[in-house]
Amino acid sequence: MKAEFGGYAGKILEVDLTQGRVKRTSLDPDLATKYIGGKGLGAKYLYDHLPLGCDPFGPENLLIFATGPLTGTLAPGSGRCIVSTKSPATGFWLDANCGGSFGPEMKMAGIDAIVIKGKAPSPVMLLVDDEKVQLGEADFLWRKDTFSTHRWIKDKFGEESRVACIGEAGEKRVRFASIISEMRAFGRGGAGAVMGSKNLKAIAVRGHCPITIAYPESFMKACREAFNEIAIHPDSGGGRQKYGTNTILSCMNEAGVHPVRNFQKGIFHGRSALNEEEIREFYVRNKACYGCPIYCSKISKVKEGKYKGAFVEGPEYENVWSFGAHCENADIPSIIKAEYLCDLYGLDAISTGNVIGFLMECMEKEVLEESDIGFPLKFGDNEGMIRAIHLIGRREGPALLWGEGVKRIAQEVGRGAESFAIHVKGLEMPAYDPRGSTGMALAYATSDRGACHLRSWPIGAELLSPEERIDPFSIEFKAEFVKNQQDLFTVINSSVTCLFTIFSLSLRHIVHFLHSVTGIESFASSEEILQSGERINNLVRLFNLKEGLTKADDKLPQRFLTEPLKDGPARGRLVDLETLLKEYYFIRGWDEKGVPTSETLKRLGLPSENQNDKFPKYQNT
Amino acid sequence: MIKTIPNLCTGCRICEIICSLAHEGSIAPKQSRIRIQSAWPEEEKIHLCLACEPKPCIGGCPEGALSWDGYLRIDEEKCTGCLLCREACPYGGIQTENSKKFPFFCDTCQGEFQCVKWCPTKSIIRTK
Repeated sequence: MKAEFGGYAGKILEVDLTQGRVKRTSLDPDLATKYIGGKGLGAKYLYDHLPLGCDPFGPENLLIFATGPLTGTLAPGSGRCIVSTKSPATGFWLDANCGGSFGPEMKMAGIDAIVIKGKAPSPVMLLVDDEKVQLGEADFLWRKDTFSTHRWIKDKFGEESRVACIGEAGEKRVRFASIISEMRAFGRGGAGAVMGSKNLKAIAVRGHCPITIAYPESFMKACREAFNEIAIHPDSGGGRQKYGTNTILSCMNEAGVHPVRNFQKGIFHGRSALNEEEIREFYVRNKACYGCPIYCSKISKVKEGKYKGAFVEGPEYENVWSFGAHCENADIPSIIKAEYLCDLYGLDAISTGNVIGFLMECMEKEVLEESDIGFPLKFGDNEGMIRAIHLIGRREGPALLWGEGVKRIAQEVGRGAESFAIHVKGLEMPAYDPRGSTGMALAYATSDRGACHLRSWPIGAELLSPEERIDPFSIEFKAEFVKNQQDLFTVINSSVTCLFTIFSLSLRHIVHFLHSVTGIESFASSEEILQSGERINNLVRLFNLKEGLTKADDKLPQRFLTEPLKDGPARGRLVDLETLLKEYYFIRGWDEKGVPTSETLKRLGLPSENQNDKFPKYQNT
Repeated sequence: MIKTIPNLCTGCRICEIICSLAHEGSIAPKQSRIRIQSAWPEEEKIHLCLACEPKPCIGGCPEGALSWDGYLRIDEEKCTGCLLCREACPYGGIQTENSKKFPFFCDTCQGEFQCVKWCPTKSIIRTK
């Protein structure tokens, strides 16, 4: 299809690790037109090919790395890549998304997606060098941290090789293990553990194929305009460039939605959350993903003290929170160290911080004792926190259980721990208290991969957007807002560019990029593109329903429904999820059980043969 | 003249992208005349022809294939592909690529310097 559409490489690389075979197949142009790429491509593949009820760690699970037509182009934020699989944390859909250069390099190696199935008999790495693809032995890299793995591969195959690999946590199937690519991560939902279950240590790609653009002049004009808008916008051209993602830190804290002590309170008084300047003192330079003018990444280093030598691309807002306020820890060097260790072991830093904060509350509530943990793990104890990360990363001793994530720890421990286990569908929650944001409450409950702030982020409009501010406590218009933003974000995650461009750009820009890059006529229509987003979200919903999801899974942790927030502007508030959910289902065109109606499926051109099935509940492993 | 300020460079490689778009009509950073070299996880280095004096590339060419007329020119009849010019350049300004027969380098985009225009951090600037 290369001659037909710009932007796409036109090929899928299929890898069967059990057989040790690789082959290139052509990308179906109809599939591209209907599902764009990235998340859409992953959704179509998983829906069509994943055996129903399969074990996320079984060889039949698929691990799909997919780019979109905008990946690797000049469209701002085009450095990203999407991995899709069945999540070992939730047992449902997972797509996780990573910046850097891995996606663009895949495209330049002539492939839109890598579809991996099976399980290698012993550790292997996948090496893609343009047309040449091979599986190499990786026994000697097993147990090596992600940085050493990167270094070995780059020394052997060239500095310009782009790597995605797992650390010890992925090898040992920690259910929130990440895949690391040059200090950035396919973070959430345990894609690293799926990769580990397949005995796949690393993927290295290098390519020299040019990416063709259907209408270069129109595309460059669209990019010029977008670059200008990004440069003058106070977020993308201001705060985000200066502070990175921490630009929202003090604002969230002051709004009382920066969760403290495992979501017991909403305002943190420690140094790590008072002011983004405090974090900025550790930044040594700016870093950008491929093709991005926003450069929100900051390289931070700890130059003195007991955590000297730790360095990260970050620390990101989410992790300043997960290892900071969440664990009631105000010590910034320890936060950097914690994120550094998560990178080395290949752990999702949001979930890791969540697990530790949860264990701290278990200690506080005497649900667990020191003998269960092995050392005193109290709120505010950053040495204990670092110790716990090492244990989780190596999955040693008590961390055999901790590596299962908050949901499963609570089930195992019992004694009321489930009442403060903060997760949705098995995925731990990010840094916004839903009691102070009805939008986030609905966003968490309806997110396809569990508690996630990147399916829609209404709190931005609720707290940060002066011109179009919506009331954070009201439930009015929230269902409509969340639905529309979910569809838009899915367009971005299928195109694929970065969500951080959307504060200064709009759907109009994305559509202009998509049309001028690909030359696909239907991509010139905002309605059609947004409908593709809606189509993909509904297909993912069908996938989750097939895998046994019911309305009961679209829920929030008990704490937010029964324990009013104790402090700040949202003090005394609870979440009325039922009303929000009812309206959301209605707006989505789903029935009262959360199943897309046959009219909705027909309107979106989706298969409706499943609509009358009972969606049998399969036991997730 | 072009000046680079490497410590402002974020490694976004927009210069490589726009250079290849301007010259090749497609996105091919590995055919770019400007290169951002990264030695992960260390800082990036910016490599391009800085129009320096006294132009060691021209002196370094044993065939006399290189000359200067507003920017570096190559006489493809004379070039033997020995790449001594590349070795002579202290700024990494002379590029090669498998698909190209001869070394290639900055031609100023008809004086427009697209890399300068598009660099988001102004780590490549014109000095006059």
